[in-house]
Amino acid sequence: MGRSTLEGRFRVIDVSPDEVAEVVRELFEDGCYYATGMGVDERPLNGRFAVYHAINCPKRGVYVILRLTAPENRPSVPSITPVLRGAEWAEREAHDMVGVTFENHPNLERLILPEDWPDGVYPLRKDFPYNRKMAGTEGTAGVRGERHDEATMSVPLGPYHPLLHEPEYFELYVREDRIVGADYRGFHVHRGMEKLAESRMTLNQIPFLAERICGICGCTHSAAYCQAVEEAAGVEVPERALYIRSLMLEVERIHSHLLWFGVACHLLGFDSGFMHFWRAREYVMDIAELITGNRKTYGINLVGGVRRDLSGEKIQKTLKLLELAEGESREVIDNVVGMKELIARMEGVGVLRRKDAREIGVVGPVARASGIDTDVRRDHPYAAYGDLDFKVPVYRGCDVLSRFLVRVDETFESFSLVRQILENLPDGEIINEEYSLPYMEFGLGSTEAPRGEDVHMVLTGGENQVYRWHPRAPTYNNLPAVPLMLEGEDVADAPIIIASIDPCFSCTDHVSIVDAGSGRVLWRGPLLEGVERLRR
Amino acid sequence: MMPELSTLVNVVFVVLFAPLLDGIERKVKARLQTRQGPPVLQSWYDLIKLLKRPSVEPSGSFGWLFRLAPAVALSSVLLASTFVPSLLARSMGFWGDLIAFVYLLALASLFLALGGFASCNPYAQIGSHREISLLMAEEFSLAFIVAGLAVSAGGLAFSAMFPLPLKASSVVGVLAFAVMVYVSGARVPFDVAEAEPEIVEGPLIEFSGRSLGLMKLTAYVRRLLLFTVLLNFVIPFGGVLRSSVYVAALLVLSAVYAAFEAYFGRFRTADAVRFLKRFAAAGFVCWLLAVLGW
Repeated sequence: MGRSTLEGRFRVIDVSPDEVAEVVRELFEDGCYYATGMGVDERPLNGRFAVYHAINCPKRGVYVILRLTAPENRPSVPSITPVLRGAEWAEREAHDMVGVTFENHPNLERLILPEDWPDGVYPLRKDFPYNRKMAGTEGTAGVRGERHDEATMSVPLGPYHPLLHEPEYFELYVREDRIVGADYRGFHVHRGMEKLAESRMTLNQIPFLAERICGICGCTHSAAYCQAVEEAAGVEVPERALYIRSLMLEVERIHSHLLWFGVACHLLGFDSGFMHFWRAREYVMDIAELITGNRKTYGINLVGGVRRDLSGEKIQKTLKLLELAEGESREVIDNVVGMKELIARMEGVGVLRRKDAREIGVVGPVARASGIDTDVRRDHPYAAYGDLDFKVPVYRGCDVLSRFLVRVDETFESFSLVRQILENLPDGEIINEEYSLPYMEFGLGSTEAPRGEDVHMVLTGGENQVYRWHPRAPTYNNLPAVPLMLEGEDVADAPIIIASIDPCFSCTDHVSIVDAGSGRVLWRGPLLEGVERLRR
Repeated sequence: MMPELSTLVNVVFVVLFAPLLDGIERKVKARLQTRQGPPVLQSWYDLIKLLKRPSVEPSGSFGWLFRLAPAVALSSVLLASTFVPSLLARSMGFWGDLIAFVYLLALASLFLALGGFASCNPYAQIGSHREISLLMAEEFSLAFIVAGLAVSAGGLAFSAMFPLPLKASSVVGVLAFAVMVYVSGARVPFDVAEAEPEIVEGPLIEFSGRSLGLMKLTAYVRRLLLFTVLLNFVIPFGGVLRSSVYVAALLVLSAVYAAFEAYFGRFRTADAVRFLKRFAAAGFVCWLLAVLGW
């Protein structure tokens, strides 16, 4: 192994193409899993392309970043997907966006770019201008699926469906009332955020862009981005700011979980539960408004600290609201848990075995419901979590019910965390603006979002800019597990199974640029196919 | 009053009042969910809007069946409303019987399902499939209940059954029938055929404008007629106060049923069918009691 730099939270290691597979295998056997990967066009620096594989080693409290490079004229590195299947999407994404080829990848098809995007044009290369518009070429899209036979019906779930609050496409292959197979097709709503940030935004504008990755868990994205830059530039963040960050992240988790419980009730036909959960959630929205001025999209994080302080009076009000929110949430949850028909519809449904979960690298409540004890807040303490006391709930049912119960326990842990933070809030400054930005320094920030581990990687660009920014939302890691969960289940259970990962598609889709016209091509074919019973 | 006129009054009453009853149920549910809820006339507003709009026919559908289904469904429930005594007790010289009523309602369900199949939409296929499974299971329970009530009343004609004689078998039968009214009304947890978050209203997904309006009106009328038959079993026939007692009882029943609906989550189809099969036991008890003369 070559150069290695030692940091607290992560370690960047240059590996040679020959040994990467072996290194990855050893890490996986040691209990690590694939967190994320990014391709970087480093040609302006050294005439090479680079791939960064971030591997999370929760036991050792460190992220191992494996850096592979390839020369400009032959941008090709060995794939690690055959060793660790969690890397599949990340490698396909790097192939789409930066044009690095992965040797021996089992399925190096397009993941993100539309199928009528011209070959050999890679939008995240530095010589591709952010405002360039591409004319579509003849697409080959839409024809998929080998499972069709007389008795199988293809049921399109999406791209518009009341279950999915964003356009995504699942195709279910159904025989009688059973799902015999499922395909996922996503990345329809790409906003090209990375390109935007790298090309025309400054360092402290990006937290606000990052926050808009997701309408539900935005704060966690801006926090992860700020942490990544702080790591890269070695910024000292005042303690009070760290506490306020934790405070808002926990408020966000409570609101997000209560929202999910409501949606889950709605999908199971229990609309009263839906309404009552959202009523309890309103107190949490009031808390957010009181502290940040916004019900959602708090706009509180900046590199070096936070933007708003918290007065004693606000702390008192918050504590009062918190009591109301907790009492009412407890009451509604107790009622729901007591409803046998709801529990019966979640128990034993949508099973994700621990082994698959580990190989795919699922995160957050989905992992914890499959018996994997992982939580970024505990394993890689950030913000104020090192000083706080909380339990990480782990269930071994591997089903939708376990995911529900993990979230129930987490919600009440979060209530306790908010209280601890408010009671122990240290005095002092809330932001440190005395820092300078180095050139081409790597930083990684990770947070435990309501949906699981959220990782942002940054290469600083100097002059108040970032050279490369790669956010990876938890749903990106959880989605590949959904087709596995769906197989063999009742069609009636498909919505709750898909919802059980608490999917956030816009988070997953942050990365890309899609021509609106060709976006249609992607799904129109299969949709029409699905309308009729399929005959060979 | 002439029988033809009272029949007309009854049909008009049923058509006008059924959407209103739905509006009241929506209000009750909203209150239980701490919502404001829409005005009680909302279901009427929705219907008027729908009836003013043209229907769109999906390409690739069996057009004639798709167009015919809403009309047949509505006609069958309206036909049932001509011989079920609702607002006015005396209705049409012809005294219908329970079997005709049950089958007219089944015909409406059948055409809802056929309309769904005819649209060729995969969600509608699943929904129609569920509708039919549920219908068969319902018929199974209903067969025993109807037979029990008939033996108990000494005939299937409404003239014999309204009201039922006070016997153990009639009490069990009416209670069982009340449950079937709930099930047949496609209420949560038995609304599997339309399950909005799962299969997007199932058989109704491709209906729009006028034809959707007719389908909705059919559903409202159907619920009202089911309540009406249930009430006729118990309201002493022919009294002076009958009409007002009937309307008041309708409102109470509807509020109670709506309240129940707010406390359930949806079944899977298989669970709903299993429940109905088990429930046939209640019908069987009713029939057994009636045969024994209790």
